Amino acid sequence: MPVPAAMRRYLRKMLRGTLGLAIGATTGVAEFFYVLFGGIALAVPALRRPVFSGARTLSEMERQRLEKYFGEENATDYSGRRAMAYLVPRCVIGLLSAGIFGLILLGAGSGLIIGYQLLDGRSPGGDAPADWYDPVTTLLFGALLVFLSLQGLIGAATLDGKLARYFFGPSKKEQLRRRVSELATSRAEVVEAVNGERRRIERDLHDGVQQRLVALGMLLGRARRATDPKRASDLLRQAHEESQRALVDLREVSWRVYPIALDADGLHPALEALAERSGVPVHLRVDLPERPPAAIETVVYFVASEAVTNTIKHAAATRIDIEAERDGDRVRVRITDDGTGGARESGGGLSGLARRVAAADGQFIVDSPPGGPTVVTAVLPCA
Amino acid sequence: MRVILAEDSTLLREGLVRLLVEEGHEVVASVGDGDALLSTTAAYRPDVIVTDVRMPPTHTDEGLRAALEIRKRWPEIGVLVLSQYVEKRYAAELITGDGERVGYLLKDRVAQVGEFLDALDRVAAGGAAFDPEVVRRLLARTTHTDPLGKLTVRERDVLEKMAQGHTNAGIAESLFVSLSAVEKHVNAIFDKLGLASTAGYSRRVLAILRYLGS
Repeated sequence: MPVPAAMRRYLRKMLRGTLGLAIGATTGVAEFFYVLFGGIALAVPALRRPVFSGARTLSEMERQRLEKYFGEENATDYSGRRAMAYLVPRCVIGLLSAGIFGLILLGAGSGLIIGYQLLDGRSPGGDAPADWYDPVTTLLFGALLVFLSLQGLIGAATLDGKLARYFFGPSKKEQLRRRVSELATSRAEVVEAVNGERRRIERDLHDGVQQRLVALGMLLGRARRATDPKRASDLLRQAHEESQRALVDLREVSWRVYPIALDADGLHPALEALAERSGVPVHLRVDLPERPPAAIETVVYFVASEAVTNTIKHAAATRIDIEAERDGDRVRVRITDDGTGGARESGGGLSGLARRVAAADGQFIVDSPPGGPTVVTAVLPCA
Repeated sequence: MRVILAEDSTLLREGLVRLLVEEGHEVVASVGDGDALLSTTAAYRPDVIVTDVRMPPTHTDEGLRAALEIRKRWPEIGVLVLSQYVEKRYAAELITGDGERVGYLLKDRVAQVGEFLDALDRVAAGGAAFDPEVVRRLLARTTHTDPLGKLTVRERDVLEKMAQGHTNAGIAESLFVSLSAVEKHVNAIFDKLGLASTAGYSRRVLAILRYLGS
């Protein structure tokens, strides 16, 4: 029987956690002795440094174990003194999990013996013949014990993680360092996003509007060179039509650069205009009791417009849904289509959007399994 | 003359085809990308090809690379390149070699139908045609370095026209001066720039552009 992928992942996670806990149980025993003798050794000032550095080595081992088996990431910038302080409760937890494993082994052993006795027709204990209720009570009691031991394991694992977070949790300095590197990345991304947009505008202008104007000029030039008046007036008529189309193109390009409705009337009318202009039917649901800050409105608008453009270009969709709503102190925009899916966040248009959203400290999620549907979500803070 | 057109915008391509046909040229093929330009050129061997720089699939310099390839493989075919903007690098790459049967125009120049057709004729006739804007840019870049500084305003005008690929007669016509006046200016320019005077006008364009590009 095939096991569903989610189930398999869960089982693997459980096994990995159990293994991590078992290793933690053995290190717990070692740590218990280290804490015991190290604690006594601390009374001698000369021994303090080596004791603390040993404690650091041990807790570094614990930190790596937690990272490997539980995916717990913790900071490394803690002192030897803090490491020693961590080892005291940590060895208790280690011993506790060692105890739980011991009890589980014991329970499994007795379970085997009792099971054998029941199959043999004897009651648990083995002397008297079995009553009819013996298997039932044994089964219920066994299930209860299995449940309790599983709970024990989960509890020990949780405690293990919590303790490490408490002692090694990122210091102020570490938090600051992370924030700075986040900001540096997003700044670089903003620059990249702006450049990408500039390139797009340049292309829109040169490959669209300029071509029209050159064609227009060419028509006028031909009209001037034409000797036959009927032909000249025909060319002029074409030139006139071409000038109208050039204007339409120009309006399109400038709209794509920045929809003026966004400034004047806010997000809702701008999105309505976007929906009207789309070739694929767009269903709009905007629930924003008050206007978010202009910068956030702009990002929301561009997420929506770029997602719609992408959908029209690539997804062969027949319907697009745009939802924008307030969620506490955040704005959430979600664009769903019924197209072919398979969009990747690393793809051209979407990676630009991801950068834009990251620059505003927001989250950007693309969910687009092959075969569809595609859901693009952006959550932006707007305090 | 027999022409192959390479331009990815259908609108412009159709317009150009009509224009050339009206002017009595034969457009043997019109294509939308660099590869097609190379294959049709190999098949038809036209007198001139006219190509846009930016074409699919990369939309960068596909057309220019095809043009350079054509100049290398079939030097007898004239090459007129249309560009969105002045790129000194493109102009420089095109004139390396003998500097004949080659032209580089800004795309907008197509709208000046007369100038465009004139440039096409010059390229087909074995000459050169460089966009006034390209030449101006090239000259502007070098004004602060010597010997060009020694030229008079009039001589600079004549040099510009020369660099665009015009003959002395053409320069005289467009500047409304006599042919002998132009010849006098040209000699003065060659003297001041230290260039040996030669007969063919395309070679002098080459000399000047090389000088400017150096």
